[in-house]
Amino acid sequence: MNDGWNIVVCVKQVPDADDVTIDPDTGTLNRSDAPAVLNKPDHNAVESALALRDAVGGTVTAITMGPPPASAVLQAAVAAGADGGVLLTDRAFGGSDTWPTSLALARAAEELDADVVICGEESTDSSTGQVPPGIAAHNGWAQLTYTESLDPRPDEGVLVGTRDVEGGYERVAAALPVVVAMVFGANDPRPAGLHRKIFAETEFEPVQWTAADLDIEDRVGLANSPTKVGGMDTASPVERERTRVDSVEALYDHLAEVL
Amino acid sequence: MSHEATTAGGLQRPDLQTETPNYDDAFDAVVVGAGLAGTAAALTMARDGLDVLMLERGPAPGTKNVFGGVLYTPTIRELVDIDDAPLERYIAEKRFSILSSDGDETAISMRPGAWRDDPHNDSYTVLRRRFDEWFAKQAVDAGVTLVTETTVTGLLRDGGAVVGVTTDRPDGEIHAPVVVLAEGANSLVSEGADLKERPERDAVAVSVKEVFKLDRDTIDDRFRLDGDAGAAYQYFGEGAVGEAVGGGFVYTNKRSVSVGVVYRVEDAAAGQTPEATLDAFESHPAVAPLIRGGRRIEYSAHVVPEGGARAMPDLVHDGAVVVGDAAGLVLNSGVHLEGTNMAVESGYHAGKAIAAALADDRSDAEALAAYTRDLDQSFVVENLRHYDWFQRTIAADRQFLFEDLPRALASAETEYFKMDRTSKDEHTGAARDHLVAAAGGWFGAAKRAWRFRRMLS
Repeated sequence: MNDGWNIVVCVKQVPDADDVTIDPDTGTLNRSDAPAVLNKPDHNAVESALALRDAVGGTVTAITMGPPPASAVLQAAVAAGADGGVLLTDRAFGGSDTWPTSLALARAAEELDADVVICGEESTDSSTGQVPPGIAAHNGWAQLTYTESLDPRPDEGVLVGTRDVEGGYERVAAALPVVVAMVFGANDPRPAGLHRKIFAETEFEPVQWTAADLDIEDRVGLANSPTKVGGMDTASPVERERTRVDSVEALYDHLAEVL
Repeated sequence: MSHEATTAGGLQRPDLQTETPNYDDAFDAVVVGAGLAGTAAALTMARDGLDVLMLERGPAPGTKNVFGGVLYTPTIRELVDIDDAPLERYIAEKRFSILSSDGDETAISMRPGAWRDDPHNDSYTVLRRRFDEWFAKQAVDAGVTLVTETTVTGLLRDGGAVVGVTTDRPDGEIHAPVVVLAEGANSLVSEGADLKERPERDAVAVSVKEVFKLDRDTIDDRFRLDGDAGAAYQYFGEGAVGEAVGGGFVYTNKRSVSVGVVYRVEDAAAGQTPEATLDAFESHPAVAPLIRGGRRIEYSAHVVPEGGARAMPDLVHDGAVVVGDAAGLVLNSGVHLEGTNMAVESGYHAGKAIAAALADDRSDAEALAAYTRDLDQSFVVENLRHYDWFQRTIAADRQFLFEDLPRALASAETEYFKMDRTSKDEHTGAARDHLVAAAGGWFGAAKRAWRFRRMLS
């Protein structure tokens, strides 16, 4: 482990949450006008991958699954400092839910001899949080979910994560290889350097892997996705009970009574 | 620069490029700002074979840009095919209206049939967020490298010459032979680098604008429009901008209406706030019905350079040129409100001059001076010179133009068309009296007519 760790960071292109609206009549997301951007928690994943590389040496490889325009998020990762990128792209991936998606990412991570795989805790367009544990499950690797910070112990071949748990935090030591899901806002992502950003957007090209390259062409796509959406509904806000009080004393009395 | 990708086990491995190349002097020019002037300059240079880096502070071109709403396209049409451009409506009607603060309106409307024919007098409403992004894409397709979310913070110098820019990014300095300053009206980089002086208060206007969403049919019906036809309404008088010197506007987009006011920043500093001014304008009985029921989907504010030819800075420096709003290229003659066409024209001439200078391996002010000369001989500077008198003259005559005249017109109209049992002749006389009195008698009226004769000349 003296030459550092193979760090893989999984990133996803999502519609900009600031521009996504919900059609009040149909209850569906209107994503058509929203520009595609890097999933917000993935900025924290990229930052922790880069910080990990700073600490233990090695390389950071960004991977994403999607059509060719999705390589824009690989550019964003490389601009921030990732060393390279892999685009998993294939019509066969179309319609994949979290099960085949995490399988594809798991196979790619294995192919890259990953010591550590880092993801954002969830994507802002589907919010399942299932993909990072899915990657760990498919490969039989350790996992650190809802991680707020990382403490590498390269001499022991161990990565210690501080996890957000109810009422506090816990520190968990995981043997490599390990999959980490970083909490949104866990760190302060570094801005891309100007020259690195120019490089990422003009010269950098990710390699492209297909489902067949990963030997999973019969295990991905809509047909291999167990999720079925039964229906959708919008919830109307509940009318709150309101009481008006005239003074702080009255408010105190009222609260004391209610509590 | 790129390593050979290695293949092991049949699968292509990713290139790992930890080393970041250095792009100092890899580009012939750096353009500061991807608005209309910057993009026109970048596009022109790329077409002439130059490598151009265009830096934009917003997440996409157009996100930081504000204008009233009408884009004039004669030069853009020369540069790109605008058939696919995201245009909203062509201007089929111009309407000039004087509003008093008592609710009176006197308007003149024009709908020449020729405007209905392609290319519609090269006048279209556009939404900048969509148009600028499209225009910048034409530049990128021509080979320009566009980098967004990057704010230029200053200029690099070698001796006196500009040799590059600094940005807000780490490792954020980049050298290039020429820098094009297309940073807009609030030109902090140019001012910080002493390429232009901080403008005087009376040479800057403030504009605030809101966009209201309405059905296409509602807009068509309210403004009497068909198909892609659109309307540009301009407003003057106390009912438009209160105590200030300036005007209001209402422009139709496809499914929204842009409403705004522009007035001297001096008036805002004296206490007339932009939001109260816009609110009063939108509440005026002549304006409110146009936007009734519309949902406010956007509000924005910006400064507008209105110093005219007098306030134009030096356009060329050793290693740098100034274009568009940053160069003060906005025309407000009362009747004509133009800026986008001048921005594109200046970007085009600057781009041409830079390409010619770099072909001679030069980037000094003297070699770039063709830009100043060409712009000087174009409609841009000619129009600015021609109307240079306008701002000062209306400011000096504000009381008459903005308060007395709108009321006198309304009183005269009321008299002239009055239905009672007095003769038309008497009504005409009374109407005339209102106007002559407001203008300061026959002598005053003649003096004012003389003073403003150039408005239509």
